Amino acid sequence: MSDTGFWALQTLNALQLSMLLFLLSIGLTVIFGLMHFVNLAHGALYALGAYLAATLAGLGGYWLGFLLAPVGVAAVGVLLYAGLIRHLRQAGPMAQVLVTFGLIFALLDLTRIVWGDLPLSLNTPEVLTGRVALLGVKYPTYRLFVIALGLAVLAGLALVLNRTQVGAMIRAGVDNDAMAACLGIRVERLFFLVFCVGCALAGLAGAVAAPLLSVRPEMGLEILIPTLIVIVIGGLGSLKGAVAGSLVFGFVQTFGAVLAPQLASVLIYGLLAAVLVLRPAGLFPARG
Amino acid sequence: MFRHTPLRYATLLLLAAAGILYAFTTGYFGLEILAEIAILAMLAVSLDLVAGFGGMVSLCHGALMGAGAYAYALLSTEAGLSPPLAMAAAMALAGAAAWLIGAICARTQGIFFIMATLAFGQMGYAYVFESPLFGGDDGLAGIPRLDLSALGINLGDSRTFALFCLAALALAYGFAALLLRSGMGRSLVGILHNEQRMRALGLTVWRTKADMFGLSGMIAGAAGALAAQHSMFISPGLLSWTVSGEALVVVILGGLGTLVGPLVGAAAFVSLKHEVAAYTNHWHLIVGAILIAVVMTRANGLFGWLESRLVRLRPSRSTDDA
Repeated sequence: MSDTGFWALQTLNALQLSMLLFLLSIGLTVIFGLMHFVNLAHGALYALGAYLAATLAGLGGYWLGFLLAPVGVAAVGVLLYAGLIRHLRQAGPMAQVLVTFGLIFALLDLTRIVWGDLPLSLNTPEVLTGRVALLGVKYPTYRLFVIALGLAVLAGLALVLNRTQVGAMIRAGVDNDAMAACLGIRVERLFFLVFCVGCALAGLAGAVAAPLLSVRPEMGLEILIPTLIVIVIGGLGSLKGAVAGSLVFGFVQTFGAVLAPQLASVLIYGLLAAVLVLRPAGLFPARG
Repeated sequence: MFRHTPLRYATLLLLAAAGILYAFTTGYFGLEILAEIAILAMLAVSLDLVAGFGGMVSLCHGALMGAGAYAYALLSTEAGLSPPLAMAAAMALAGAAAWLIGAICARTQGIFFIMATLAFGQMGYAYVFESPLFGGDDGLAGIPRLDLSALGINLGDSRTFALFCLAALALAYGFAALLLRSGMGRSLVGILHNEQRMRALGLTVWRTKADMFGLSGMIAGAAGALAAQHSMFISPGLLSWTVSGEALVVVILGGLGTLVGPLVGAAAFVSLKHEVAAYTNHWHLIVGAILIAVVMTRANGLFGWLESRLVRLRPSRSTDDA
């Protein structure tokens, strides 16, 4: 393989990882920005999305899972909101971390009970199998689809957040929730909406990741730390931060693994520590 | 401020009596569990010291414990240090690492502190996992226990080792209680209540936080060195953030900021784990449900709940919440 081809391949890989992380982190970061709510169980919802997608794909093909997994995960999100999260709104970060940590435990075992310990696999849909020649390399079509999907979601969210009234209300809530409430914005209802959309996006990420990885109960735990790193590097609560954080993580992780395999993961944690020390609010914090 | 109420003394005595009685009556399996409880309780006490009395909710205590375990293992096998020296060095190393982390993270608050400690803990985990020096994923085996034969004590025997762990736990608890009664401990509680005021009074807040975090890390390192001796084998999993999370669960289950509670929590957690494991593989589900229930009821864990109940029965007695 030519040298440029190698770099093009790594860049595409990095982009693909970034877009997957973006799908996960955007929900988490807006939930935090809006309501200072820390949801450690976000990764478990992603695993749930992957399982739902794998099961539904067995019944009606990949696209059924792709479309319904986010809906299913959002439904679980509604249950969690009504049962637990609504009551935790006034509690401190400690209680939220602990309850969602308990949720990780519970959801992990629930997926084990329902789907068993063995990994499931999901085939890529027929349309997207094969490879496309791009920048001098033949790149798997499905991975390009993941990149395109991430960009499409990014464009859609940017449009909603910057150009619609709901988006303006969300931005107002992130900036100053008490003032937004004074102006007659129902912040709690907004939070519920954002929470559901965040859950749906986590489910979507799971459905999209399922053909790339094997679907295992632990996958939610493994993705959680990268997602948290992304939102902390990027800055809590902002779309720009989630994009920047995802790109930083994707590129550092991918190129680190190629150039300095020994240091790859230490590098990313070191970067996180540096950001926390030098710019505690992240690169693009939502509020000034 | 931390104070030993009669209830706390009574609970301590009860726990000590139960531990010693159990050590002399149970078989091999029970002794393994007892040692596990004692080691986990040490970690929980060290975490309660900073989380309960300084508001520093750390998710790197598992990694600090792992640092102690790896330092002990490497120093006693590869470097050929005598085990007592290796243990002291492991504690010093874990303490120094903790001091550094505490100093760097001291100015962050709340969720950012949690995230920052998580980052440092995971950094250690990733490094140990990937570095060939530490045996990578395979871990290290053949770790010797302390040789106390000069005192006529043979730690190779599981009963003696369990009692040794209990003694170490008692030491760690006494050390933590003394620290909290000292000027530094009082300053830390002051910071928890009003950091601004402590700063106005002329206290160097970050120093107090870092010092306390370092001493707490030292206890965690000692727990790690004991854990390495207990199983005589260590793997990177010891440093994983889920270990820190479990330690936090133990502290919460027992009662945050009570110092006695974490002991109760550790005993309850490990016993529950083994009880539930006898019936089903899904003990995580039970633990998760119990954790959610404990936090949602807003009781301060098992011991905290007991304390508040007894205070309600005798409203004339004033007790503090710290």
